[in-house]
Amino acid sequence: MPITSGHETETPPKLGGGGPGKISRRRGYGGDDGDHGRPDDFSSSRSRLRRYRVGVALFSVCVTMLFLGIGSAYVVTQGMGPWNHEAGSRVSIWRPLLLPYRQLWLNSLLLIASSVTLEFARRGMLKKQEFSTMGIRPPRFKTEFPWLAITVVFGLGFLAGQFLVWNTLRHQGVYLGGAASGSFFYTLTGLHAVHLAGGLAVLLYALCGDWTGRKFESQQIAVDATGWYWHFMALLWFGIFALLHFARG
Amino acid sequence: MEERSTSSTAVSTPGFLRRCVFSTDHKVVGLQYFFLSFAAVLIGTVLSLLMRIHLVWPTVSLPFFGTIKPENYLAFLTMHGTLMVFFVLSTVPQSGFGNYFLPLQLGVSEMAFPKLNAAGFWTTLLSFLILIAAFFVPGGASGAGWTQYPPLSAIANSGPGQALGTDLWLVSMGLFCVASVMGAINFITTTLKMRTPGMDLMRMPLTCWTWFVTAILSLLAFSVLLAAVILLLLDRNAGTAFFVPAGLIVSGKAVAQTGGSPLLWQHLFWFFGHPEVYIAILPGMGVTSHVLSVFSRKPVFGYRAMVWAIVAIGFLGFLVWGHHMFVSGMNPYAAFAFSALTTAIAVPSAIKTFNWIGTIWDGRIRFTTPLLFSVGFVSLFITGGLTGPLLAQPALDIYLHDTYFVVAHFHLIMAMAGLFAIFAATHFWFPKMFGRMMNERLGALHFWITFLGSYAIFMPMHLLGTAGHPRRYSELTGVQYVAAMAPLQKFVTVAAIITMSGQIIFLVNFFWSMFKGPTAPANPWECTTLEWTLPSPTPAGGFGEHVPMVNRGAYEYSAPGAETDYLMQDAPGS
Repeated sequence: MPITSGHETETPPKLGGGGPGKISRRRGYGGDDGDHGRPDDFSSSRSRLRRYRVGVALFSVCVTMLFLGIGSAYVVTQGMGPWNHEAGSRVSIWRPLLLPYRQLWLNSLLLIASSVTLEFARRGMLKKQEFSTMGIRPPRFKTEFPWLAITVVFGLGFLAGQFLVWNTLRHQGVYLGGAASGSFFYTLTGLHAVHLAGGLAVLLYALCGDWTGRKFESQQIAVDATGWYWHFMALLWFGIFALLHFARG
Repeated sequence: MEERSTSSTAVSTPGFLRRCVFSTDHKVVGLQYFFLSFAAVLIGTVLSLLMRIHLVWPTVSLPFFGTIKPENYLAFLTMHGTLMVFFVLSTVPQSGFGNYFLPLQLGVSEMAFPKLNAAGFWTTLLSFLILIAAFFVPGGASGAGWTQYPPLSAIANSGPGQALGTDLWLVSMGLFCVASVMGAINFITTTLKMRTPGMDLMRMPLTCWTWFVTAILSLLAFSVLLAAVILLLLDRNAGTAFFVPAGLIVSGKAVAQTGGSPLLWQHLFWFFGHPEVYIAILPGMGVTSHVLSVFSRKPVFGYRAMVWAIVAIGFLGFLVWGHHMFVSGMNPYAAFAFSALTTAIAVPSAIKTFNWIGTIWDGRIRFTTPLLFSVGFVSLFITGGLTGPLLAQPALDIYLHDTYFVVAHFHLIMAMAGLFAIFAATHFWFPKMFGRMMNERLGALHFWITFLGSYAIFMPMHLLGTAGHPRRYSELTGVQYVAAMAPLQKFVTVAAIITMSGQIIFLVNFFWSMFKGPTAPANPWECTTLEWTLPSPTPAGGFGEHVPMVNRGAYEYSAPGAETDYLMQDAPGS
């Protein structure tokens, strides 16, 4: 008695691994992209893009965990101190920082601006890539180039601004190897700057793509993935800023 | 061999370096991880042997080395733990076999990000070399244990290995974290985005499920270890005091840094460290489920329950890190919460154990070497697992924590069970990796020596522990009750020497079979999963132009009405 596909006549016995005769619930089949490596196919470049977006999302999760680790250490350290038996409470040994808010807000504005300009570049390139895979017009990088260049300038501006913030704190006598509040400030903002610089490197790679002979598709994917990463970096920055402000002690 | 040469000429053969060294092919990367771990496990085993010898014959002078000093013992202890946990148990089952077989079992010929994958391996190799380099710097390797608790690990003059050796350890671990995250992103994206048509999540082999869940754990856990490592490196080199408490005096000198908390490290470390235990064992569970089903010629008992048990173990693994810290003086209410959550992990673990037994129950069992090792895995998992709920009780743990009882517990459930899964996987996939069969007779001999040896080594340690023998010390002289346990320690060392000698059988079998073993057919074990639709060894291009269409689940053995006793996943009709 062979297993038949006739569902009306008899249901096949249920077996391990999902059992036979189960049809995928999704349209198409199992994997979210129904495509298998035809390089110039519409779905192929689309699926490559989606893959990179998933990669960026996962990387963002991992960076979030890194900062959650340090952020929770910040909160715990801030609440620490020797126990005062007579008062029945903890004596705080935390030295609050005088944050240079004006500088920090200026940097934040730069970062938001860079996020917006990068979003323009990202959307423009995405549209072009889709037109080109439909064969409507050949992709050209020209119009997005300025948006991308402005983003890079804003990004560098943010990093320079952060450097000035560190300089301000240094003049206040706050050092990395000093009180815990300063150590955490430099570590959190420094690691954020390192991560942002990584995004900046990918943007530069995309910018130089025209001269290094990269395909438009690769540039587009680099910009798209970095775009999402960049927005995440902006969000993360506000998370750090909020932590530094609300838990400043 | 014939098939390999024809297929590799079809895909224009690049040079040796491009093909076997700087390759982005997931199979090559998998094998690179595999052989890296081979090196790591050899060093780690020698270190444990040296420790066992020192414990029983402390004054013996070893050739090329001399007598083992206490700081050497601590360095061996640290490096044995680090090598085995990171470079063997977290590397072979996940990065080794996972890289090789995850895409093949999902029916694709490459990972989602092949370059990232190769970069992950080279970062791991760099991390390994930096770790080993610590043996050769002034002061030697770090002696603070694989958990590197501060303040011992935070202050450079707190011991001979605590200077450059510990910095190298931390840099090595930082790189390892980065590499693991690269691998994890790749594994998750591949599983979510690259599956061949018809390969539903609930049709994936359980091996793929465990690689997938393990990758999620790696992604979340290794990032936190990286955070901890960065903070500790700053403490050691930039004068911060994240983990250095106030008023610390080391070697008669007051430490300048102040105001940190060593407990903070323990929290961050174990938030990583407990999921790490599951990172090490989950892929082994997947292999066990897979192999037991194949050689019992029966579907996995309770496939869906198995999947949910894997997910539940992964999730609960993040909520129980405090059970490593019961002796840190934590709030008893917190200890109670961690204790209850830890005990809860017994439920999905018991589901898995029950289902393994259910899978082989009444099966037409083929007693091959992979099956033997998988049954061994279940046995060791039960034996090691039963002491888990004991240690999860804070009151008991406070007594047992710093004794050999804990050594016995984690070696049985993580090290030995993990090792048995690695052996099972090696014997099982050897034909697909190298195109030849391993010797069954030698395999069985190796299994029995290792199986009996594991129990002979670690069962007595439970007794040592309950009698109060402390762990970690290189030598305890003049302690009456410990001296009385010397014969048992000697027994353990002799058992260890015999068991380790038995591993030579495996080495001989492995390398002999690689070159001289009988040629393997495409599907020697009559498996259903997609990697066995390819010739052995796997051709360089994987599936090439062919797109497998999956029509059924992964474990259709002895299906009623089918002509053969197994139905390949891509066989037509369903």
